Amino acid sequence: MNERLQAGRQALINLVHKMLKFLNGLGKVFFGNPKSVFGTSVLLFFIILGLFGPFIFPYSTDISMLDQLLPPSWTHPFGTDLWGRDIFRQIVAGTSDVLSIAFLAATFSVVLALILGMFSGIVGGFIDKFILFLTNVFLTIPSLPVFLILAALFTVDNPLTFALILMIFSWAGMCRSIRSQIISLKERDFIQICKVMKMSRGHIIFKELLPNVGSYILINFIIVMKNAITGSVGLMLLGVASFEPTNWGAILTSAKNNGALINPNSYMWLFAPILCIAIFQLGVIVLSKGLDDTLNPRLRVM
Amino acid sequence: MDNIVELNHLTIDYRLRKYALRAVADVTLPIKRGKVTALVGESGSGKTTLATSILEVISTPGVVESGTVLYYGNDKPVAVTKLREHELNAFRWREVSMVFQGAQSAMNPIMTVYKQFEETFLVHNRKTPRQAAIRQAKQKTIELLNFVNLDPERIMPMYPHELSGGMKQRVMIAFSLLLDPKLIILDEPTTALDVIIQGYIFKILKRINVELGISMLLLTHDIGVVAEFADYVAVMYGGKLMEYGTVREVFKEKRHPYSKGLIESTPSLLSDIDKMKPIKGSPPDIRNLPAGCIFHPRCDRCMEICKLQEPEDHKLGEHLVKCHLAKQ
Amino acid sequence: MDAVKRVLKRIWLFLFQFRYFFMKLGISILTLCAVVILSFILIVNMPGTVIDSFAMQLSIQRRISLEQAMILAKQMLNYDPDAPLFERFWAYIQQLAQGNLGISIKNNAKSVNLILKELLPRTLFVSSISLAVSFVLGTFFGSRTTWRRNTIGAKVLDGYIVVSNSIPDYIFALILITVFAFRLAWFPNQGAYDAMILPGFTLPFILSLLFYATLPIAAYVFSQLSFWTMQMQGSALGVLGEDYINAARARGLPKRLIVRRYLKRNAILPLVTQLAISFGVMFGGAPLMESIFNYPGIGLAFSQAIVERDYYVVQGILLFVSVIVIGVNLIADTIYSIVDPRIRRSA
Repeated sequence: MNERLQAGRQALINLVHKMLKFLNGLGKVFFGNPKSVFGTSVLLFFIILGLFGPFIFPYSTDISMLDQLLPPSWTHPFGTDLWGRDIFRQIVAGTSDVLSIAFLAATFSVVLALILGMFSGIVGGFIDKFILFLTNVFLTIPSLPVFLILAALFTVDNPLTFALILMIFSWAGMCRSIRSQIISLKERDFIQICKVMKMSRGHIIFKELLPNVGSYILINFIIVMKNAITGSVGLMLLGVASFEPTNWGAILTSAKNNGALINPNSYMWLFAPILCIAIFQLGVIVLSKGLDDTLNPRLRVM
Repeated sequence: MDNIVELNHLTIDYRLRKYALRAVADVTLPIKRGKVTALVGESGSGKTTLATSILEVISTPGVVESGTVLYYGNDKPVAVTKLREHELNAFRWREVSMVFQGAQSAMNPIMTVYKQFEETFLVHNRKTPRQAAIRQAKQKTIELLNFVNLDPERIMPMYPHELSGGMKQRVMIAFSLLLDPKLIILDEPTTALDVIIQGYIFKILKRINVELGISMLLLTHDIGVVAEFADYVAVMYGGKLMEYGTVREVFKEKRHPYSKGLIESTPSLLSDIDKMKPIKGSPPDIRNLPAGCIFHPRCDRCMEICKLQEPEDHKLGEHLVKCHLAKQ
Repeated sequence: MDAVKRVLKRIWLFLFQFRYFFMKLGISILTLCAVVILSFILIVNMPGTVIDSFAMQLSIQRRISLEQAMILAKQMLNYDPDAPLFERFWAYIQQLAQGNLGISIKNNAKSVNLILKELLPRTLFVSSISLAVSFVLGTFFGSRTTWRRNTIGAKVLDGYIVVSNSIPDYIFALILITVFAFRLAWFPNQGAYDAMILPGFTLPFILSLLFYATLPIAAYVFSQLSFWTMQMQGSALGVLGEDYINAARARGLPKRLIVRRYLKRNAILPLVTQLAISFGVMFGGAPLMESIFNYPGIGLAFSQAIVERDYYVVQGILLFVSVIVIGVNLIADTIYSIVDPRIRRSA
C-alpha cells in the first residue's frame, strides 16, 4: 500500500518536473531576447485586456447626446463618439473579437497548410503536382476581390466564418514552403537512416519531420494573425462584413462613415482604433522577429 | 631566395559575435619556388583559410590577427597583409592566382566564360588601349583553353552552369593562368570528380608546373595525390602546422603520429585493404581544443606529457615536426 | 520518310528550347480556367430575385410588359436560371469567348467592357507609377544597406520597415487623406483630375492627373517600399555569401565593379518574378485604397458593385483583373527565364 503511494507520489513529482521543464522551455522561446519580450508583452497585454477588460470596464451602448465627441479625459481616456459612448470601453469590448478572428484564422490556415504541405512533400507524384497547382492558383488570383465576393455570398457575422474566409488566401504560400522544407528534410541523412532502420511512417512524420518545421509554423502562425487583422479590418472598411460594432475595424469604419475624416473633434474616434491596430501589429511583428532569432540561430556576423 | 611565399607566425580568427574562432594558429610555412607544396589536413583544419590569406581574400568575418605573409616576386619582398586596396588588386591574380574548391560556384552565373576572362584581363591591363586589350584577352583565352584541352569556340560563349564538372575545373585552371602568375593555389582541385578525370587534371597541372615553371600550393586531403604529385608537404591539424618537409622525409620517416595515421589510413593499390587503419575519433572542435598537444585524444602513442604541454616545433634542417616524440 | 522525320525532329528541337515557357503557359491557362469557374459559381449563386428586379427595372424604363422584360433580361444577360447547369456554363463560356464580360444590372445596363475601358487606365496609372517608384527606391536602399550595415541611414531604414509593416496600407491612406486632403487641404479628396481641364494629351492635364494621384501613390509607396527593400536585402545578403563574390575579389576586381556586376545583378534577378506578384497584390488592394481616396478607378467600381450586389460587374472585373495578373505573371516568368541563363538553357 505504502509502496503504491510512494510510486504515485513519485509519478506526480515527475509530472510536475516535466511541466516545469516545459514551462521553462516556453519561457526561453517567448522571452528569449529583447524583441521577444516586447512582442510577448504586447500580445499578453491584449489577451488579458480581451479576457478581463470587459469586466473591469463594462461598456454600455446607451446613447447620450450630451457627451457627443468629448475630448480625452480621466473618465473617457479616448474621448467619446458621435453618440456619446466611451471609445476606450468600446475598444476594450472589441479586443476579444479581434483576437479571436486573428487566432482562429491563423489556426485554420496553419492546419490546412501543414496537412497539405506535408502530404504533398511526403507523398509526391501526381498529388504533389496537383497541390502545387492549387497553391499557384491561390497565389495568383488577387485575394481582396475574392474576399469581397465571398463576404457578399455568405453573411459574415461571427468570428468563425470570418476566419474561414480569411484563411482561404493565407494557406497557399505557407503550404509551399512547408512542402519544400519537407522535401529537403527528406533528403537529409537522418531521415534516410530512419528509413533504413525501417521506422514507421508515423514515427518519421511526427517525431522527426514535424519538430523540424515547428519553428517555421510558430513564426508563420503569428504572421497570419497579423494578416488576418489587416484583412478583417479592410473588409469592414469596405462595408461588406457586418460585425460586432465594438470590433476595432467596426469602430474605425463607423468613425470614417460619420465624418471623422473631416471633423477635427472626432480625430480620437478615428485614431484610437488605428493606434490599437498599429501597436498590436507592431508587437506581433517584433515577436515574430524575436522568435526567428531564437529558433533559427545563424552564425551572425558582427 | 628559393621561397616564393613565406608565412610567418600567421594567426587568423573568425570574429563572431560572441567569440572568435581561431582557424589558423601561429603557422610558419615556406612555399618553394617552382615546386609543388601540398597542404594536407582533414576538412576544417584551416587549410583553405591559410591559403586564402595569401591573396588576402579570407571569407568574412575572417581576420589576420598577427603574423605576416611575405611574397618574393622579382626583387624585394612584398608584405601582402600591408598592401593598400589598389595595390592588392594589382597583386591578386597577376602574381598569385587560385583555383577555388567547388569550381562551379566560383564563376558569376550570369556571365559567359569568355566575358569573365575578358573582364579580369581588362581590369589588369588598364594602360593598354581597350581594343588592343580585348584582342589580347581573346587570344590569351583561346591559347589557354587549348592548353587545358578544351575547344575554345565551344566553351567561350557558354555559361558556367552549362559546363560539366571536369570542364569547369579545366576552365578554372585556364582562368588561373590568365595573367601568367608565379604561384597558383589549388584548393581540392579534383574532389567530386571521377578518377579518370582526376588523373587527366593532374596531367595538366604537372605540365603547368614543369613546362611553365609555375609554383603551386595544393590543398588536399588525398594522401595518394600528394605522394604522386607534390615535392613538399605540410600537414595541418586543428589550425596548427603539425609537420613540414619534403614528401620523402614525411612519408618515409613517419615521425609524426598524425601524418603516419593519415598515410596509413589511405588505401593504395599496393597495400592490402586489411592493413588500412583509419584514425580513430573525429576532427577537433576548434572552439574547444584539448589541452596539451591538440592531437593527443586521438593519438595512439599518447604520453603523459602530451596531455599537459603543447609540443614545440622540432627542426631537423627544414623538416619540422610538432611532437614530443621528435625530441628523442 | 527520313526527310519528314528530320524535319519533325528539327521542329521538336526548336520547340524544346521553349519548354519552360510552355510549362508556364500551361499553368497559366489552368489558373485562368479556375478563375472562370469561380466567377461562374458567383453567377450561379446569385439569388433569383436579382434577375426579377432587373426585369422590373427594364419594364419600367422601356415601357414593356413584365413578361417581355423578363425575356429581354435573360437575353441581355445571356443567362437563363431555368436552363440546365451545363447549358448555362456553355452559354457563359461562349459569351466570354466573344470578349463580352456582361452588363451591369444596376447601372442602366452599361457593359462591363465599357466600365473597364473607362476606369482601368486610371488604376493602371496609379499602380504602375507606385510600383516603379517603390521598386527602384527599394532595390537601391536594399543593396546599399546590405553593403554598409552600420550607418545611420540603415538604422532609419530598419525603423521605417518595422513601422510600415505594422500599419496596413489602407490605414496609412486614411491618415494621409485626413491630414493632407481634409485638414491641410493640400491635395484633393476625390476624383482623378480637375474637371475644369479638358482631358487630352496636354501638359496641364497630365499634371492634374499626377496631382490627383499623389496621395494614392504615396500610400502605395509607403507600404511597398519596405517590401522591396527587405526583398533586396535578403537577396543581396544571399548573393554576398556566394563563392563567386570572393573569387571575384581574388581576381583583383575592384569593389565597385563587384558590387555592380556581381552583387546587384545577381540579387535583382529573382525580384523580377516578385514584381508580377506585387502587381497582383496592388490590383487586389485597389478596391480598398480607391474607395478611401474616392479615386474613380476600377477598384472603386468593384467595391461599389459589391455593395450594390451588381453581380455581373463583380464577376466581369474579377475575371479581367485576374487575366491581367495571370498575364503579367507569365510575362515576368518569361523575362526571368530570358535574363537568367541558368533557367533559360537548363530548366
